Amino acid sequence: MKKLIALFLCLILALPAFALADDQVEITLWTYPIGSWGNAETVDGIIKDFNAVHPEIKVTVQYLDYQSGDDQVTTAIEAKTTPDIIMEGPERLVANWGAAGKMLDISDLWADTKDDIIAASAAVEAACKNAEGVYYEYPLCMTTHCMVINYNDFEKAGALQYIDEEKHTWTTEGFLNALDALNAAGFAPTAVVYCGGQGGDQGTRALVTNLYSGQFTAPDHSAYTMDSEANIKALQLLQQLVKDGKLDADAGIVAGDEIALFCNSTISIGFCWNASAAVSNKASLAEDVKVFPMAFPSDDGVPELQGGIWGFGLFDNGDEAKVAAAKTFVKWVCDDPAQAAKSVYASGFFPTRASLGDIYAGTDKAENGEYAIFMPYLGDYYQVTPNWAAQRTEWWNLLQRIFAGGDVAAEVAVYCQNANQK
Amino acid sequence: MTTRAFPARRVVSPAMRAARRRENIAAYLFMAPSLVFFLGFVIFPMGMCLVTSFFNYTMTDFSWIGLANYVEMFQDAIFGKALVNTIVIVLVSVPVTCMFSLWVASLIYKMRDRHTSFFRCVFYLPVVTGSVAVTVVWKWIFNNYYGVLNYVFKNLGLITRNINWLGNPDYALACIITILLTTSVGQPIVLYVSALSNVDHSLIEAASVDGATNMQVFWKIKWPQVMPTTLYILVITTINSFQCFALIQLLTSGGPNNSTQTIMYYIYYNAFKLSRYGYGSAMGIILAIIIAVFSAIQFRLAKTDNG
Repeated sequence: MKKLIALFLCLILALPAFALADDQVEITLWTYPIGSWGNAETVDGIIKDFNAVHPEIKVTVQYLDYQSGDDQVTTAIEAKTTPDIIMEGPERLVANWGAAGKMLDISDLWADTKDDIIAASAAVEAACKNAEGVYYEYPLCMTTHCMVINYNDFEKAGALQYIDEEKHTWTTEGFLNALDALNAAGFAPTAVVYCGGQGGDQGTRALVTNLYSGQFTAPDHSAYTMDSEANIKALQLLQQLVKDGKLDADAGIVAGDEIALFCNSTISIGFCWNASAAVSNKASLAEDVKVFPMAFPSDDGVPELQGGIWGFGLFDNGDEAKVAAAKTFVKWVCDDPAQAAKSVYASGFFPTRASLGDIYAGTDKAENGEYAIFMPYLGDYYQVTPNWAAQRTEWWNLLQRIFAGGDVAAEVAVYCQNANQK
Repeated sequence: MTTRAFPARRVVSPAMRAARRRENIAAYLFMAPSLVFFLGFVIFPMGMCLVTSFFNYTMTDFSWIGLANYVEMFQDAIFGKALVNTIVIVLVSVPVTCMFSLWVASLIYKMRDRHTSFFRCVFYLPVVTGSVAVTVVWKWIFNNYYGVLNYVFKNLGLITRNINWLGNPDYALACIITILLTTSVGQPIVLYVSALSNVDHSLIEAASVDGATNMQVFWKIKWPQVMPTTLYILVITTINSFQCFALIQLLTSGGPNNSTQTIMYYIYYNAFKLSRYGYGSAMGIILAIIIAVFSAIQFRLAKTDNG
């Protein structure tokens, strides 16, 4: 009798597995912490809503971080245990794993939304495909990375005159005057050029390239062009500012540490900021910090900001049913009329579809909408240039060498030689 | 003159032979689980590492290149820097860890059990805390802007302005070694306390009665008896120091200017960041050889009659 009961219980326990095998397709999603897409509560809510419409697809989520996420994906690629869907940007989906032949061509997802995406930003569409026109990313959201100042410090130092408060822009000359004013008013350290690692390096890259309107790569993304006259001049300027004590450089910190210094009022200017950072750091702001986002200073006052584009890519796991289920999920998240805006809202960034309009108006994140002012300054998405991963390490090493007193031209030559090595 | 008696050749019956075979089989069966793990997770990966070191193994390629990875490695200036840094870490941290542990253990092993246990816990705490938590605390201590170390040193009048401990090539490696020491001394202290407690007290008493000083008692009685423990600690600490990785990854990423670059971190960087698995494997092989040589030297130098 006991044996019969045990067998019966086993059968009951096994039933869901049989049911799953018959009816449900199980897919896995790996996501980097793109706003609240790194938050289990938010993502579980999205999946719950998805399952209300598509109960036949079960989505399992794994959360990655930027410290070790790439390592986990690399390991999964070699072990052939990659997820069905991964959420990140073109520098990984297109330029890295796509170029290595690990991603699926998802051009079919673009069929009915391509015009809408191009209407939002042609740069987004261009970044999501390779040179042959194969799409490896289906975009969800985008932003421009900017910098931030403590409005209160600027006001006290009489430095507000050097910024365009309406456009949130300033010139290189204005930036230098502001540093002088802040230093004279005792707000030292004013800012820190962080170079302890690759975290948040978009900030230091944008700082350097904007000062004299240089370009980080060739227009066709075939080479890194830090050795241009404009870029060398910018690096020499920063080196001099550090030598003069008007600016700090720190090889011991990365962007996260720099943001903490800004939030606790140690520094008045931060070089790594965006709409999502504004939300996530709101609770940690010191009392005397008033966040005022700014574009990077440029000689002509017209900045060229680096963009962030996030969306979904599909790994080729050789299972047609899973591929179809993954595409259904991605399409629902990005384009379902009732869900698309919510999916973007969770990221804290801006929609890559013009039809979605301003998704933040009248919401708890209304201030995120203010960062849309920077979208017209969205520059070239150069992160798809070959050798990107190696270049990132070369970049912060270059800054370390320069701020340790190295000759700028010579150090830049070393950087270009290493970064452009095929 | 003595004559050596050779034992007569014993005749082994078939029944005894069968019993012995059964015993052997049983022994191998008991050993099998750990042997499978050892072969699968140690020997096989080591073999794979050796094989892939002869290939240009990346995310898109797997082609035979012979010794090219090894040739490149010895022309790679960063690898050279990493090798020197690693050896510096080993040469500083291993003797300091051993001496400090022995000193602390010799002070606390004579205390009451309760006090000895308390100190054992204190020194073992960084070991069980986990490297991430320890590293976060140390990062805060070394912070350039609001770190405790700068605050204390400035108040003591030792420095006049903040020092960027982890951002300055002159200090960064010393900081890494300091943190490594705090996480390394726990186990050796526990082992030395145990070893010193097991030293034969009758020998110590006899030596004292004969007029031996404390130093003589230590070097002539205690030191030889704790030598097997010392050898174990030397080997383990050497291997751990050679494989210093988490601290580097969490604190400096090998910088500034490669001043804290170690072989382990450089292997990780090449294998996981650049997907150059073959090159990383070649460096792993060289690291294994270096560790084996160091360990062999230590075994040779610390060899005793009883251990």
